[in-house]
Amino acid sequence: MSRQQPIELFMPPNMLKAKVGGSFVGLDMAAINRAEAAMEELKSQFADWAQDDVRRLVAARDAFAAEPGSTTRAGLLRAAHDMKGQAATFNYPLIAQVAGSLSHLIHDLPETAELSLGLVDAHVNAIHVIYRDKVMDMSNKVALALSKELEARVAEALGG
Amino acid sequence: MSAYRFDKLKILVVDDNVHMRKLVVTILQAFGVVHIFEAESGERAWAVLRESNPDVVVLDWMMEGLSGLDVVQMIRSDPQTPNPFVPVIMLTGHTSIDRVRQARDAGINEFIAKPVSVKIMMSRLMSVIENPRPFVRTKSYFGPCRRRRGNPEYRGPERRTEKTAIAAE
Repeated sequence: MSRQQPIELFMPPNMLKAKVGGSFVGLDMAAINRAEAAMEELKSQFADWAQDDVRRLVAARDAFAAEPGSTTRAGLLRAAHDMKGQAATFNYPLIAQVAGSLSHLIHDLPETAELSLGLVDAHVNAIHVIYRDKVMDMSNKVALALSKELEARVAEALGG
Repeated sequence: MSAYRFDKLKILVVDDNVHMRKLVVTILQAFGVVHIFEAESGERAWAVLRESNPDVVVLDWMMEGLSGLDVVQMIRSDPQTPNPFVPVIMLTGHTSIDRVRQARDAGINEFIAKPVSVKIMMSRLMSVIENPRPFVRTKSYFGPCRRRRGNPEYRGPERRTEKTAIAAE
């Protein structure tokens, strides 16, 4: 059965190593420091990223509300998922948490089950408020409590 | 100065989000990478890939149309792929172990979970340079060996079923 399936294992030539040359001498801290400085500079120029993402999330929510279905649901999932990754990178950990909860809900809910617009809206509104109030750390107790409540509601909706 | 000549590399960065794409490009430029190609969709990535034949691909997972997983499967198996061995670093907001396995089973080399970190980006890049994985070809898979360490001399029957392979890794 599986033991009879042929397998071929081989090592292709390391063209990458041949191209960059050099040898491993540990992490290049100068390059890392340079990149971290460039990243911080870029983050400050991207003040509008969250606004763009919030707008995109609201548009995806509106499309889903107008015509619930697999296409609009997938669009909503993409918007929430993107926001989760972006917010974590661009110093909005609470938005990342709430967007993560929303993408968890949409992703893990069976396709055949109804996605509650009320629960979607609760997430979208929370993200709105966190962004409006520029909550960029995890110390805001009200926002944290809201995020935990949303996660609990998602767990409930998923039957957890 | 880096011991590596990163300026010799061609890297393709694929992300449908312009901010995330610019962030990755900025980090790579700071590392000394000069030749960077960008694509905002899986479809565009496939076209750029065939035009530019990059040395490394940094790929987002979730995109409208062709997803990152679709692109990596095309890179590994499509007859028109310019290089089925090109290292693919998947950059994604997915963090669950199931998703990591799914990406690995599609043929990625390295996985970076967002938030993006400069150190992790550098270490994954160094990993594909210094510790490339052997490639494996089975009836159902072609891509980097899904075990961290593989014996490149191995020739013989596949010893694991799909289920045991996942469990073992």
